[in-house]
Amino acid sequence: MPDQQEIFDRVSKVIVETLKVDREKITPASRFTEDLGSDSLDRLTLLMQLEDEFGRKISDEDAQGLTSVQAVLDYIGGQGA
Amino acid sequence: MSRRVVVTGIGVVTPLAVGVAAFWRRALAGESVCEPLPAHWAAYHRFHSNVWAPLPSRDFSAQGISRVDAAQLDPSEQIALVCAKEALETAGIATRVRDAKKGTLTLEGVDPAAAGVFLGTGVGGATSLIANVANHVATPLMAGLPAEAAALKAHFRAPSRFNPFAVTMVMPNGPGAVVGIRFGLHGRNTTCAAACASGAMAIGHALRAVRSGEMQLALAGGVEYLADEYGGLFRGFDVVRTLARAEGDPALANRPFDAARSGFLFAEGGGAVLVVEELDHALQRGAPVIAELAGYGETFDAHSVMMIESRGVQMERMIALALADAGVAPGDVDYVNAHGTGTLLNDETEAALLGRVFGDRPLVNSTKSLIGHTIGASGAIEAAVAALSLRDQATHPSANLERPIGGLRYAREPGPANIGCALSESFAFGGHNAALVLKRFS
Repeated sequence: MPDQQEIFDRVSKVIVETLKVDREKITPASRFTEDLGSDSLDRLTLLMQLEDEFGRKISDEDAQGLTSVQAVLDYIGGQGA
Repeated sequence: MSRRVVVTGIGVVTPLAVGVAAFWRRALAGESVCEPLPAHWAAYHRFHSNVWAPLPSRDFSAQGISRVDAAQLDPSEQIALVCAKEALETAGIATRVRDAKKGTLTLEGVDPAAAGVFLGTGVGGATSLIANVANHVATPLMAGLPAEAAALKAHFRAPSRFNPFAVTMVMPNGPGAVVGIRFGLHGRNTTCAAACASGAMAIGHALRAVRSGEMQLALAGGVEYLADEYGGLFRGFDVVRTLARAEGDPALANRPFDAARSGFLFAEGGGAVLVVEELDHALQRGAPVIAELAGYGETFDAHSVMMIESRGVQMERMIALALADAGVAPGDVDYVNAHGTGTLLNDETEAALLGRVFGDRPLVNSTKSLIGHTIGASGAIEAAVAALSLRDQATHPSANLERPIGGLRYAREPGPANIGCALSESFAFGGHNAALVLKRFS
């Protein structure tokens, strides 16, 4: 199982690529809408890119709760990447 | 005096090459593409045809298509962006970033309200529709099956998700829309859906818009992507026996205007976008003029959705309209880039038509003999070939002409040609006929 830092780095890479934000702005506490400026289409794009990056499907129900970087880290870490 | 309109930039994606320089070099050398079908298509159907013309790659990351783009744009939309980007680069039009997050650009030295997009496509995002419906149908079916049913799962080849961008991937105006958004063009953005004549029609309508003063510049052309995981679109053409079949060497299967032709070669896809620009606008910014876009003619057979009208009455009227629009006579035409599909009916009708109108004076070739039939992109790729032939005073040979029909003067060997005026013509399923006249720029 990859360590937390590795998951954070990979999630951050996807966020930078999708939301075009500076890497330095991203912390575990960052919220996608309020802190990283994403709209609903950006969120959809982000979820697709996370699915591709981690090779797994994110259900619509699970996706509802993924509103921050920490929530994504917990979700991916918790399921064992 | 009416405005003159010129072609100042070209971008292409073809089975022969991605990028206009490589494509044109290989075309002039008479190189062609014809390969056996994807092996896994045989799991679904025994096709009559056994060859196609695949693209060199479906990965356009080297041409600026990001991972995000690739996940939410149909291949035809990606091809449109690749072609438009190259067309602008070859036209010498610089871009600057408009919105870094959205990846959008602004064209330097171009009034965005006076610039538009005209793109043609035959099937739009049909391949995305097929993929998403496969997911939609297969997912609940698979959920009820035991793990041992892996073979069935493999058979479905369904993507793992229903793409949330399915609608904008499927819609036929998608390619034009993504180009207009990427480059911030606020003029008319029109999609021409006229099967095999779509690309020529889009360029013709761009010519009219620029000539009328409605716009100074248009990105115009055609795009198509025809491969799906199952060969379903291929089957649509195969079932009506329109496609070429190889008897032995695949390289000999695609032979427009040859007595031994057996149908058209199905291409995976392709595209071409031309920068169609008002002459003074082009000269003022010091643009490289490739050729003059001089005339357009369009008619409709009103005969059959599947078959061209074999006497070619409306095709002949189309040529007359295009020549009159360009202010030239049949005797002025030095080169015809034929529709030249390789089907029995098309080539017989077209060869007779060209003989009737032009005699054996103009040079004739079929670009489809090199790259197969890209449907909605073909007319645009062929207009690009006509423009490049005028610029370089040379055109490509027509492949596999061993016993040519119709007594025309076919281009059979690579070499220079004296071309002052060219005609590029397209005929389509549905009955649409569209022809462009281009002139050497002077």
